[in-house]
Amino acid sequence: MTDRTRAVILCEDRQQEVFARAFLEECGITPLRVLIGAPGKGAGEQYVRKNYPQNVQTFRSKFPAQPNTCLVVLTDSDALKTIQRLNILEKELKMNGLPKRRPAERIGIFIPKRNIETWIHFLMGETVNEEDEYQKYKNEGKCKPFVEDLARNRRNPLPDDVPPSMRAACDELDRIL
Amino acid sequence: MLKRIFISGYKCLVNFELSPGNINLLLGPNGGGKSTLLEVLRMIQAYILGLDDIKKLFDYATLTRGQNIPIQNFELEFAHPNGDFKYELEVDYYDPEHKPHVQFERLSSNGKLIIQCQENQVLFSPEQLTAEIRYPFTLPYSIISAYQPETESLGQFKELITHLLVVHPNPIASLMITESPKEERIPSRNMENFISWYRFLSQDQGFVHEVTLLLQEVLPGFKYFKFAEFGEKHRVLKAYFSVDNGHTTYEYSFNELSDGQRMLIFLYTLLQVLKSGRYMVCLDEPENFLALPEIQPWLIELFDLCSQGDAQAVLISHHPELINYLLASPVGYWFERPSNLHTRVKAITIRPEDGGLPVSELIARGWLHD
Repeated sequence: MTDRTRAVILCEDRQQEVFARAFLEECGITPLRVLIGAPGKGAGEQYVRKNYPQNVQTFRSKFPAQPNTCLVVLTDSDALKTIQRLNILEKELKMNGLPKRRPAERIGIFIPKRNIETWIHFLMGETVNEEDEYQKYKNEGKCKPFVEDLARNRRNPLPDDVPPSMRAACDELDRIL
Repeated sequence: MLKRIFISGYKCLVNFELSPGNINLLLGPNGGGKSTLLEVLRMIQAYILGLDDIKKLFDYATLTRGQNIPIQNFELEFAHPNGDFKYELEVDYYDPEHKPHVQFERLSSNGKLIIQCQENQVLFSPEQLTAEIRYPFTLPYSIISAYQPETESLGQFKELITHLLVVHPNPIASLMITESPKEERIPSRNMENFISWYRFLSQDQGFVHEVTLLLQEVLPGFKYFKFAEFGEKHRVLKAYFSVDNGHTTYEYSFNELSDGQRMLIFLYTLLQVLKSGRYMVCLDEPENFLALPEIQPWLIELFDLCSQGDAQAVLISHHPELINYLLASPVGYWFERPSNLHTRVKAITIRPEDGGLPVSELIARGWLHD
């Protein structure tokens, strides 16, 4: 067993999982546990929202003994603003009697807008906006080399046309690493 | 890559057809025909490679009950960089003593016949010759295993078949063959011959290095394996583990390890074999004997290998860990036998209205297809 940082990944679907693992592994973070929502429209978002509070609660109680772990949460923004999606998750904590996320906590929330495909199409060289829906990939692994490239160059300045949600995600990542 | 399987007349498999993808999870009630499918693949492999003769492999008792015609049909189609292969075999039991007899065996590539044996007559179409070659053949073996000299396309097809690993790993110590008499290229059904198989694999020192690194990640304290001589030709496998922060090393014979440790060794060795390219693995209940935290890391590695197209896997499992992880993608097939008749298989699709519960929970409630 190693003492590398390990991540619990809570995400909506396979595409988010492949993206997150490729990125994190390139940063030297191995998955401790991957939790993916069941297939079905809206099921992934619901899965992340419902499982978020209990994962936060358990993470907080175990973190002192497992300081090399982090909790990585992915959920698409969809038609909502990123801040609205973030607030929904914060509200789930409140409804479960849990305190808000604190800046020092290694709990990262990554919210692609409009969804993870927006980021992937951007990484693959397309001009994107955060309003349109982009085609899903049948082979979810197709994005891996591009995601790994992003992870390798994460210390460099991001291009000007990077989707704002991706820029926010990079800042979030810096915070938890 | 195996593109299509067709089986008819074998146990519960009648006009059974499956077109597997890179990774596949076979689900369904016990007795649904999942393991029977793997049994057939293993049997056809042994026949094609000449590991056994027809009488030892094919058995009248395996004919589908209630079928009037004593014939079994098997077809396998493979994708290969140099051209697709199609293998067909028809076995009948018209013999008064119900002995198996090959009606025909045929191998073609991209629709062009390579070799065929029908009614004890071989028809061979060599790549370099325009004329066909015909001659009698009465041996109880596959013409593909028996034909000499081996041509390029026959060699490619045999390599594909050799790269098919069909196992139901069972690490229980009493089943293991602890003294390896020789290298064995193919793992046996329950991996009882693991030590001989590993002996074959360990001829490649690069492989040994890679698998050692993998095992050091998953087996706390594991250092390396070493073969020890046992008599003139036999070898036993020793595992070395460090204790006391690496200051002391203890030697264990393979059978002294726990069942779970042996299972991990099987699975990560298989994983490393798959990484060497163009292998297909069929695994029946690979999660057996593993601790809960040990399942997903192995599964993720297998999933990545297969989704990259570097390997192909067909898994059978009833375990929620495998079901929920793998069925986040549409890779599931549901096997069932309505009224105990023939196997019916359908791709598992999760409808939007099913969303919410884990797939394993839908299966546990019997609601998957309601």
